[in-house]
Amino acid sequence: MKKTFHLSPGDEGASEDVRREIELHLELRAREFEAQGMSPEAARKAAADAFGDRGAIEAEVRHLRDDTVRTRGRREWVQELIQDARVALRGLRRTPGFTAVALLTLALGIGANSALFSVLRSVLLRPLPYPGSEELVQVWSDHRARGREQPEWLTPPDFVDWRDGNRTFAAMAAYQGWGPDFTGAGEPEALGGVAVSGNYFLVLGVGPALGRLLTMADDDAGSEPVVVLSDAVWRRRFGADPNILGKQLNLNGEPWTVVGVLPSGFQPPLQVAPELYRALRRPATSGCQRGCYVLRVIGRMRPGVTLEQAHADLSGVAARLAREYPATNARTGVWLVPLHEQITGPTREPLLALGAAVGFVLLIACVNLANLLLVRGAGRARELGVRAALGAGRGRLIRQLLTESTLLALVGGGLGLGLGIVGSSVLSSLVPVGVRRIQGIQVDGAVVGFTALLTVLSGALFGLLPALQTARSDLMSALKSGGRGAGNAGGRLRSGLVVVELAFAVVLLVGAGLLLRSFLLMQQVNLGYRSSGVAFVGIGLPRVRYPDGDRTLQAVDAVLTRLKGNPAIRSVEITDLPPLSQGDQDISAIPVGEPRRSDRPEGIWYRSVTPGYLSQMQMRLVAGRQFTPEDRRGSVEVGIINEEAARRFWPGKDPLGRVLAQGEDSGATRITIVGVVASARHDGPRQPYKVELFVPFAQAPSRGPNFVLEPARDLESAVSALRQALAEVDPLVPIASTDRIDDQVGTALALPRLYALLIGIFATAALLLAVLGVYGVMAYAVAQRQREIGVRLALGAAPSGIRRLVLSQAGKLALLGTGIGLLSALGVGKLIGSLLFGVSPVDTVTFIAVPLLLGGMAILASWLPARRAMRVDPLVAIREE
Amino acid sequence: MAGSDLYTGSLDLLILKATSWGPAHGYAIGRWIRTSTREVLTVQEGALYPALHRLERKGFLEEEWGLTETNREAKFYKLTRAGRRHLQDELVRWRRYARMMTSALTAARP
Repeated sequence: MKKTFHLSPGDEGASEDVRREIELHLELRAREFEAQGMSPEAARKAAADAFGDRGAIEAEVRHLRDDTVRTRGRREWVQELIQDARVALRGLRRTPGFTAVALLTLALGIGANSALFSVLRSVLLRPLPYPGSEELVQVWSDHRARGREQPEWLTPPDFVDWRDGNRTFAAMAAYQGWGPDFTGAGEPEALGGVAVSGNYFLVLGVGPALGRLLTMADDDAGSEPVVVLSDAVWRRRFGADPNILGKQLNLNGEPWTVVGVLPSGFQPPLQVAPELYRALRRPATSGCQRGCYVLRVIGRMRPGVTLEQAHADLSGVAARLAREYPATNARTGVWLVPLHEQITGPTREPLLALGAAVGFVLLIACVNLANLLLVRGAGRARELGVRAALGAGRGRLIRQLLTESTLLALVGGGLGLGLGIVGSSVLSSLVPVGVRRIQGIQVDGAVVGFTALLTVLSGALFGLLPALQTARSDLMSALKSGGRGAGNAGGRLRSGLVVVELAFAVVLLVGAGLLLRSFLLMQQVNLGYRSSGVAFVGIGLPRVRYPDGDRTLQAVDAVLTRLKGNPAIRSVEITDLPPLSQGDQDISAIPVGEPRRSDRPEGIWYRSVTPGYLSQMQMRLVAGRQFTPEDRRGSVEVGIINEEAARRFWPGKDPLGRVLAQGEDSGATRITIVGVVASARHDGPRQPYKVELFVPFAQAPSRGPNFVLEPARDLESAVSALRQALAEVDPLVPIASTDRIDDQVGTALALPRLYALLIGIFATAALLLAVLGVYGVMAYAVAQRQREIGVRLALGAAPSGIRRLVLSQAGKLALLGTGIGLLSALGVGKLIGSLLFGVSPVDTVTFIAVPLLLGGMAILASWLPARRAMRVDPLVAIREE
Repeated sequence: MAGSDLYTGSLDLLILKATSWGPAHGYAIGRWIRTSTREVLTVQEGALYPALHRLERKGFLEEEWGLTETNREAKFYKLTRAGRRHLQDELVRWRRYARMMTSALTAARP
């Protein structure tokens, strides 16, 4: 029986087939009836009768047939896919080295990206966890016109005026820190609290889990003292007592009634999560007046109001206040920061920079893989030629090649997702604890989706080009020439890819170099005070029992006296504000008798310290004297300024004996300068010098002193000695905090170190990949040109000339890639500008070192192929063809 | 199936049997069914074709175009491996069923 092929009949063909099939049946059946003696006419009729309703049957069969064709098409497609996958798998298994390198590269590239994306998405892309959070803004006073670069808090009267005078805000809430001591139930404990205006929770859109939250009524000066607990403290300190409502807590010696508990999921937009909240209860007319900046303010803009409109509106109010109260409100503007930016702002740049870096690494990885696949494809030209000759269409071959790259991408992406989940928790440490707490970093569906997308894109990116290139090249001629390759076009493509790779690597290396140099410089920064060997132990003396400075001083002195001569302690001093502690305090300062100058600071940052503090902290006195026990209450008020203050307040003059007044009027406190100390960086290595003043603790006692302990042996015994002395003086006062200066310095450097480290890792990966790319291309080029080299050698070319030929080709690629990369790198400095310290974005050292490093590595990478080229045996090379 | 007094599924079984000796076209399959059942079963002959195509879709038959004895181009149905397996299974079932029915219907009064 002869067979004919009917390949995938179309619709037309299908119905025609059915018709023909039935026609044949009727005809043969009629012939059968004829053989039984019927007339042809009668036989045809009998056949038709026996058949039944031909129209209906034909329609039914046609329908069935269409169905069959469709399912068969699907089945064939799946079968081909499975077959392709099998072939691809076999191919990949045959080259385990290639497969391992490809998978590792992909897994690392995709994993790093999905890890970073999980952080980026949680921190920067997701809105804050408050309803209508895009309407929330942090409201600051703007004192830039006064030469203060940081935003300033609000004064209570200004807050009331801004709140009541605007038309663009639905509500404005104020809050300030509050650190009550909780006593009367076990160990005394300093709790972290916050005093908020009655509408605070309303503005944030949170409701109670238990009882009620604070209301405007709680804000009245005469209202009952009530508190709302956080879920955390309710569980930790009160065992999640369901009957907590109505109970009284002894806070700072006063009874406060618990009226509510917040839900566990609520995270206030603050760096540190408070444990309890009270109402501000501050009448607008009491204590703190205009010029007294103590309130932090969050506003909720009316729906549809833009930041600009709100700013213009409030600025109008501020301008009116400046006219009415020129003494305190002149040059006070409005500074609005969207709450999201306020919270996540500092993490934005480093995260974006790192995101760009990992993106580059993945791009380089893809380019490298594309190159590897091109080489692989060229090596398989003969195999593919055979398959084409056997009837495989071009589309089929492309599909085969794409299946291979997709398979690689899928496995690599799967591995990458695993790495991403692991890496996400590591990268979370890039984000400050407060932000991490509010935004909650996790790997969720979006991250998985992003990884999947990345996988598909990578697969297409590194698979498509080689597949098209390989399939386009003349397969028949490849067959004839014994698989000598995909020709010159492929070579150019590969070289182009290597140039791209090198350019990306240069950009990354420049970024890494800049950050690394920043970090090294930061580490070398002389902070101006000792960075190890002391610890700061903070306590808080409640206002109720320590209403004035005398009582405070008395208690602190009593503790110090008890500690004198304690064998666990080498030295102990007091400061009200340790270095690197995020806090600051300033007073207005006017140098008496100096002419008014516009560049003179209006205020000075101050710390009150005991006489031995400066030498204990190894701060260098450059002029004058230290404080003595004689600088006490009642004696002349004295101060020690830093060199920066001396330079800014009395340029070119000796500041010793001169006077700083805290105000214009005659009653203002006047401080006589008795010493000058070398400037120090109290806010961290990145911050510029500020004008600073030290005053004797005895003349400016604080209810929140920090004992500066230099332990004789270990910190624990020193702290326990302090704890004991404190308990003897006042058993109700708890230790609020213990911070080692070593840890503080370490923390200040931790993030820059992490950034430099991560970018360094990415850049190293990029460098290795790019160099691998150069090696691959050169090795392949030499292998391809073996015959040409053989001929040249045979014709008398010197082997060293051949080497020069190969090296110069690599050199050209390196030069081109590095050049393009350096040009692009000029933009990198701008991107990471705020992360740099002490280096220019176009740092000469980096911009010279990177090309040298990369160029050297590229030459090194092509050395091996070059040597191989030199040793080509002309006879063998020519005979091989 | 309209106009059929075949037991359910028996037409399919007959078709598979008819193709078990080699590829056959529709008319030949129909003729074999008619003669081998001694024309007892009155089947609307056209009903054969939907059944053939259904079996093809199930993967029990596959089509093949070839020439008839009289050199006419015709569509031949060939039993696939899956079809052969199915036929064997169905035969076992059919025998068991027939034996059971026979013994039940010829049983003496208890």
